[in-house]
Amino acid sequence: MGRYILKRVLVGFLALFVLVTASFFLTRIMPGSPFQSGTVSEQVLSALEEEYGLDRPPAGQYVVYLGNLLHGDFGMSYKKPGVSVAAVIGRAWPVTAALGFLAILLAAVFGTAAGIWQATTEKKAVKGGIFLGTMLGTGIPNFAIALLLALLFGVKLKLLPIAGLSGVANYVLPAVSLALYPASVITRMIHNTFRDEMGRDYVALARAKGLRWRRILLTHVLKNAWLPVLNYIGPAAAFLLTGSFVVESIFTIPGLGREFVTSIANRDYTLILGLTTFMGAVVIGINIITDVLGAWLDPRIRRTCS
Amino acid sequence: MKRTVSVFMAISLIGILVFGGCEKQEKEVKDSTKEIVVAINSETGGLDPAGMIALTYLAYSVSALDELLTFDENGEIEYRAAESYEVNEESTVWTFHLRKDAVWSDGTPVTSKDFSNTIARALKPESGSGYANYLFPIKNAEAVYNGEADIESLGVDTPDDDTLTFTLEKPCVYFLDLLRLPVYTPSCSAYALDASDGWDKSPETSVANGPFYLDEYVPEQYFVLKKNTRYWNADEIKLDKITYRFFADQQSMANAYETGEVDVATGLQSSVMELYEGKDDLYITDTIATRYIYPNLNVKPLDDVRVRKALNLAIDREELCKIVGDDTEPTVNFIARYMKDRQTGEYFVDGAKKPFEENVEEARRLLAEAGYPDGKGFPELTYHYPTLEMDSDTAQVIQEQLKKNLNIDIKLNAQELQVNYTERRAGRFDLCRMNWTADFADPYTYLSMLLSNSTYNCSGIRDVEYDRLVEQSDTETDPVKRAQLMHEAEQLAVGEKFYIIPLYTMKSCNLIRPDIRGIAQIPATGALEYRHAYIAEEN
Repeated sequence: MGRYILKRVLVGFLALFVLVTASFFLTRIMPGSPFQSGTVSEQVLSALEEEYGLDRPPAGQYVVYLGNLLHGDFGMSYKKPGVSVAAVIGRAWPVTAALGFLAILLAAVFGTAAGIWQATTEKKAVKGGIFLGTMLGTGIPNFAIALLLALLFGVKLKLLPIAGLSGVANYVLPAVSLALYPASVITRMIHNTFRDEMGRDYVALARAKGLRWRRILLTHVLKNAWLPVLNYIGPAAAFLLTGSFVVESIFTIPGLGREFVTSIANRDYTLILGLTTFMGAVVIGINIITDVLGAWLDPRIRRTCS
Repeated sequence: MKRTVSVFMAISLIGILVFGGCEKQEKEVKDSTKEIVVAINSETGGLDPAGMIALTYLAYSVSALDELLTFDENGEIEYRAAESYEVNEESTVWTFHLRKDAVWSDGTPVTSKDFSNTIARALKPESGSGYANYLFPIKNAEAVYNGEADIESLGVDTPDDDTLTFTLEKPCVYFLDLLRLPVYTPSCSAYALDASDGWDKSPETSVANGPFYLDEYVPEQYFVLKKNTRYWNADEIKLDKITYRFFADQQSMANAYETGEVDVATGLQSSVMELYEGKDDLYITDTIATRYIYPNLNVKPLDDVRVRKALNLAIDREELCKIVGDDTEPTVNFIARYMKDRQTGEYFVDGAKKPFEENVEEARRLLAEAGYPDGKGFPELTYHYPTLEMDSDTAQVIQEQLKKNLNIDIKLNAQELQVNYTERRAGRFDLCRMNWTADFADPYTYLSMLLSNSTYNCSGIRDVEYDRLVEQSDTETDPVKRAQLMHEAEQLAVGEKFYIIPLYTMKSCNLIRPDIRGIAQIPATGALEYRHAYIAEEN
């Protein structure tokens, strides 16, 4: 097991290095310069590019950047005067992480509950209703849902705030917008596995032993039904924890997704690289954890890997 | 199972009600203080007048910083940090006498050193100031910026704490108009030493000499300005607090106005005009800006004046604006439609006849004369524009009109804003969209752009006659003669040589709560100012 983890971590670092290198040269190939603003004069522009070392060849810039990165220094933002990339991440990541975590929690809880309900109910209306809900949830993109929620609960009913982060209430609508898609997927997964599992022998045996139906469902069946969900939640979490540009923009949330997209539009090279590296590390990290968890739960994977 | 689901539903409903309730309470508290919440575009740049600044500084400075003097809507001088000034006969030495009672929001006096502090720091290239070139009329400023002269040789003197003298390279009749620019605004010499140490966004060190001071700054979310009770004119200031909230998206801004989370939302999309038609909330302002197209003179056949004229005459600007949106208004001028002539009080461009009239027949004739009858043999030109909605719509209409009227093909190339700037700067285009918002209230801000040596002249204009007219106007001290020279220059560039294709000027669409009064428009730029805003008492 230890060797397996070590191997995964090493591969992770290699992937991160490739990511940094590729993004570094891609940002330099992109047309445009961070200091263009439409009102800046040629003279000021070239003075600035010299000041930031952008007049040097990219290979030289890369060596300097990599050296700093090894010391944990992401550098300073080009477009936010006096603000380091680490400070931007330190500010935006907690917001995005809180929102992403809330969305995953909502998706897991409501998705599981709805899936079980759909699989066990005998009412056609409930079955159909949940099915329709999951169809809509996976079919409508989250920015459309976000706008609809903002219009309904914010503009029309005036129940919830839709801009900024002044309180807990501000998290409700964006978290729901983000949670709807994964919740629908989880509902379907739970529903499908529940339907299969309920016909299995161990369920019949448990019933024959006289165990209560609810207990059989929630302890025995659910345990098995959650295995595929765990495999799905890993990548879904990686996606949610790196932020969604559209949802963050609609609800004016100062998260990572928004920072990332604006940094690209601004050609803020250090910020683009810093955020790419950080998000890459998060995604790789979550994948390692999921893999290790999977290996721990299923010895077959562990054996083939070692 | 049903019960479990019902419990979830109940919890979430209670949650919604509780959080909804919190929000309402906050609002009630807000109403009892004289506070307004203003929605502005995403955070860009810092707050140091000598540093790398953009929209956020502009929003901050109109409420927090006093420039030496400014002009009111009637073109009269309004003294702010200065109480008087003198100028020598040649308009080369300008002396300002500062208010003796003016203090920073921490109580320390505002001195002439605070003004030279900004200037000296802005003249270091590493400051990142995009406005440094507006200091170049000052003696040796350009040399200092380029590292060819010492800061001591700069034509800025501070003989005592209350006197500030500028010695210029050559006469500059619009020098007073430049004073509203960031680089001429003071920064407290006790704290403002280096833009990169973050003094500008920290309430302890970011002191103000204007009616409001920075109380809180939360990056990417909002900043709060509070009334500066030490302000020399504090009695005239009615608001206690202004909160500026950042928005990344215009629709979210309009929604937040609708939910009551902001009281003022500026620069909204034109669809808001229809939604709020006839309501008191809607406040339309003119911007001092012109959207136009640069035809590249180094590209054939755009080097032929007849072709440039044909393109200009074949565009139906009325129709264009009708399609693009209610917030645009046709113009055939280069100088912004709503820039005022301080001498007459009228719009400057109304002081002369229009540079040209649209005429499709004439356009066709000219194109035939240039060797392309009915567009035959005319090469396909590419139009570069940024991927903003307004510019994309414009591009499509122009493509359609030129096909219909001249039977020529225009290829559209939408670019990211930064890419568009770079390609334009490098002169890599056939036709390129351009927009210019006045930096200061003088037509020179426009005319100087087409000079042979101008940074913004990226289409290869080299016109000795034009350069002569503009430079002559630049040193002419008689206002009437000067206006005449500037009209001549514009007529030459737009009406005879057709160096540009003017399209339209824009209106700004704003929403303001009807009970908020006293919001003014800054004549130089068209931006809104909240210094004298107040909340009307309800009857």
